Amino acid sequence: MIPFPLLLKPEEAFRQLTELNRKVVQGIESLSRIRHDEFRVGPTAKEEIYREDNIVLYRYTPMVERPFHVPILIVYALVNRPYMVDLQEDRSLVRNLLKLGMDVYLIDWGYPTRGDRWLTLDDHINGYLNNCVDVVSERHALDQINLLGICQGGTFSLCYSAIYPEKVKNLVTMVAPVDFHVEEGLLNSWTGCAPGRKNIDIDLLVDAFGNIPGEFMNFGFLVLKPFQLSIRKYYELIDILDNKEKLLNFLRMEEWIFDSPDQAGETFRQFIKDFYQDNKLIKGQVKIGTKQVDLRKVSMPVLNVYAEQDHLVPPASSIALERHVGTADYTARSFPVGHIGMYVSGKVQQDLPPFIATWLKARG
Amino acid sequence: MSWNEEADTMVKAFTEAQTKMWESWCDLIRTAPAPTMPSYSGVVDQWREIASQGLKAWTGESEQVVKDLAKQLLSAQDVGMRFFELSLSTWKAMAPKIESGQDWQAVLDSYSAQFRQQFLQAPHGGVAAVEGTAELWRLYLEQWQKLGQPWVESLRRTPRHFGQAAMGDGSAPIELMNLYWDAYERTFGRLLESPSLGYSRELNERLLKGFNAWLEFRRASHEYQGVLAGTWAKAFEQLSHKLVSVAQAGEKIESLRQLLFLWIDVIEEAFLGVFRSEEYIQVQGRLVDTAMAYRIHEREIVEGFLKVSHVPSRSELDEAYRRIYELGKEVKELKKALQGVTGGRSAQRKVQS
Repeated sequence: MIPFPLLLKPEEAFRQLTELNRKVVQGIESLSRIRHDEFRVGPTAKEEIYREDNIVLYRYTPMVERPFHVPILIVYALVNRPYMVDLQEDRSLVRNLLKLGMDVYLIDWGYPTRGDRWLTLDDHINGYLNNCVDVVSERHALDQINLLGICQGGTFSLCYSAIYPEKVKNLVTMVAPVDFHVEEGLLNSWTGCAPGRKNIDIDLLVDAFGNIPGEFMNFGFLVLKPFQLSIRKYYELIDILDNKEKLLNFLRMEEWIFDSPDQAGETFRQFIKDFYQDNKLIKGQVKIGTKQVDLRKVSMPVLNVYAEQDHLVPPASSIALERHVGTADYTARSFPVGHIGMYVSGKVQQDLPPFIATWLKARG
Repeated sequence: MSWNEEADTMVKAFTEAQTKMWESWCDLIRTAPAPTMPSYSGVVDQWREIASQGLKAWTGESEQVVKDLAKQLLSAQDVGMRFFELSLSTWKAMAPKIESGQDWQAVLDSYSAQFRQQFLQAPHGGVAAVEGTAELWRLYLEQWQKLGQPWVESLRRTPRHFGQAAMGDGSAPIELMNLYWDAYERTFGRLLESPSLGYSRELNERLLKGFNAWLEFRRASHEYQGVLAGTWAKAFEQLSHKLVSVAQAGEKIESLRQLLFLWIDVIEEAFLGVFRSEEYIQVQGRLVDTAMAYRIHEREIVEGFLKVSHVPSRSELDEAYRRIYELGKEVKELKKALQGVTGGRSAQRKVQS
């Protein structure tokens, strides 16, 4: 007979529990002394150069005397805040690109209020994004600039590049969903991505909520890994409670995770229905305002970066891009990390920024 | 309190509950091998008490849908506590059998069956308890009275706020509020007690429609809880199997952390498996859809209250926002057209600033 594997002696269990409690008490004491300034996010210097309604366009202060002549505009997702690309000094995609001589701009979409509930994808892509591209182009006296779209921002950048190919010199997409009907994605299944299935009535959701509360979105993301993210993570935190540096890193991540803007109702409605539920992007059926999105018109060089263990945007969803874009210059690069690891993994931050910078510089 | 703060508080309370649970578990182990099973219900009851108090504190000022979701979460957690209760009972009961050389896997299997049975009874019991329409109607009206009364009560208790805004004077609003209170008693107060009164037909109809939506939501909620309960049962079975495979591999579990993380890995896998199933996707969809449908009905009824109180409603504000949005868009288009005439984006940005 197989021996019973649970060999936890009562005395030993009690000792472990006492030790655990001691660490927790000490940790709480340490936590109570930490000031918010100590885990400030977005440390890299930047200046506001354009503002329209709630959105702000920033330019990060270059770190070399003569930055690369074609600037990069980072287009982040509407979900969560864009400071993830500049979380802290030693975990900053932005800072690493600046050090490599790039000139970096970023759109901050802001926090939509109830008054923004009628904003559409048309307003975001043909309006704000297009205006920001024009502003950056004008500042540099260029007809085209580089776009770096992240996650949902990558999907927006793809739509933009298909509508305005003449304004985009090179396109970099990072963990961007393209094919929304992939089987691996739990998020995709829940939003009703299987053909013919409309799991959640998005119209009802938007009509009831107006703007979709950030907390509602967050709840959805947490439930994708419920016990890892709500129990195990905090047990593991106990191990680093006496390491201030690691604790501050943890706090920065916590701040980012729970800093979730509401989603403008009409934008959310169209994004979920057209992209998630009907998968119109790869069918060439998406319309942004009056403009048709045809991915075959994405003719500029494309670099597609994805995460191999991404549970939010399954790799297959991003990899599909190659089959649908019209460019002859397509490069894909993956990293063995999850969605968030793309921004914060030390290894990725060592490899990814030089890869992007080299790729862009090689294309003028 | 914001949702984030609420979530934070809930996580803290949950961690505390977990710690208490493990402490008690250690106590149980310390008393082994007692021939009878010590009761674990004290810990679970304690947790329920904490959860109940916490729920009131965390969601006291939240809107109804938040309270419902919080209840849902706590309900799911309650199921989790029962999972632990039964797990510990199982292991406890198994200890002497293992010591005497009996087949622990067979014991585990019989407990799994018992466990599943107990878990799956819970949500159906809940449905059965409120099967009668009269009882449901009473619960529904009770909920509406709870929703309406604090609102009116808070207005009544803070006449100065209302007065400053409306009259700039402290005495008149008190009179105003008394009038308002009387009006409430004569209209909605009575309406809630006598839903068939003719003069309030329109609101009555809204209440009835709201009742149906609320009923659908309750059904979907029970259905959802049923699927979750089944998942906990499945998780228990998988934990049993995992223990067997750990034993077969000649590995040992020698720390609390090891056991906890094993448990987390197993339940995570069990839940993710269910989350991907067609059944769960449909049940979750119904839960969200019925919650949203009810929320819309709830808003219609609340707007009835607001209309007679001369307070602008959400729908009216949304309509105003829509008009502002459309006007803003028109202004932007005009500026673009102007830019075409005057030339250059610089001119446009000057106009915008």
